[in-house]
Amino acid sequence: MDALVQTIEGSAINSWILSSYWLWPVLEIIHFIGLSLLLGAMLIVDLRLAGYLRQIDIMATHRLLPWATFGFLLNLVTGTLFFLGDPARYSINIGFQLKMILVLIAGLNALWFIWKLNPHIGSWDAHGDTPAAAKVVAILSLVAWLGVLLLGRLIPYVGTG
Amino acid sequence: MFEALENSTAAIWVGESLWGYPLLLGLHVVGLAIVAGIFLMLNLRILGFNKGVSYESFLSLFRLAWVGLAINAISGTALFSSQATTFISSTPFLLKIGLITVGVICAVLIRRQLRSSAASWDASAGAISGSTRLLAILSILCWIGAIGAGRLIAYL
Repeated sequence: MDALVQTIEGSAINSWILSSYWLWPVLEIIHFIGLSLLLGAMLIVDLRLAGYLRQIDIMATHRLLPWATFGFLLNLVTGTLFFLGDPARYSINIGFQLKMILVLIAGLNALWFIWKLNPHIGSWDAHGDTPAAAKVVAILSLVAWLGVLLLGRLIPYVGTG
Repeated sequence: MFEALENSTAAIWVGESLWGYPLLLGLHVVGLAIVAGIFLMLNLRILGFNKGVSYESFLSLFRLAWVGLAINAISGTALFSSQATTFISSTPFLLKIGLITVGVICAVLIRRQLRSSAASWDASAGAISGSTRLLAILSILCWIGAIGAGRLIAYL
């Protein structure tokens, strides 16, 4: 890890990120807009998958996923730039490490849903209750993303892990 | 007045306890994501995206958005109290409060439209008026602007 940090710190992209006073706050603003898009879309999708908001045809929740994906991509790009801008701080930060584990869990949970549950979604009652497996995925997803937000905000305040 | 607030017991706890300030900041970002997230999805729906996501469902989601707003009003007041004299003279902070105020007014007006028209919009029986679309655009700009101004408080 030390070697990686040193390589990044000597790189052109690292000095570019740190060269402008305004780049960092602009990236932060984009990161916050991205998390709003991601969480806003996932709130509606997951609440419907958990059996609430039955006015929504369950198939229509697919229309929200591009916003969640777009928000995630914004944050993947801006987040990667944060890491490349200050690798020594992030790599050893326990808040950052736990946040990345939760992002991974949320991602695997979403993939599991796409492979195992989504192919059967057409046979569910469009405006009715959802199977228990869908509820578990939905609640895990919400808990994971809310945990990601909380841990992300704690990064400047927690120590090394 | 803001000096007295800053010196109150609660404000000193927020500023000096080890976990008070970061936990309030954590709650503030969760509340932000709920409010801005739901309103962004609703406004995008009004502007023609997210087809099939029923307008009536947003009447239920409004309750959740108000919960998010309440979380942020409470956590925000606590955060404000710890550095009241600094915040009250910060341009981005004042801009943020202004944008939130306009954003909430937009939300109340849009909710009124939803209450009267959601069913007919869902049945594709009624068209969405130009003024409602304008409100949706204004609302998106307010929440994104409030996020931007809020982040800049730490830099200006």
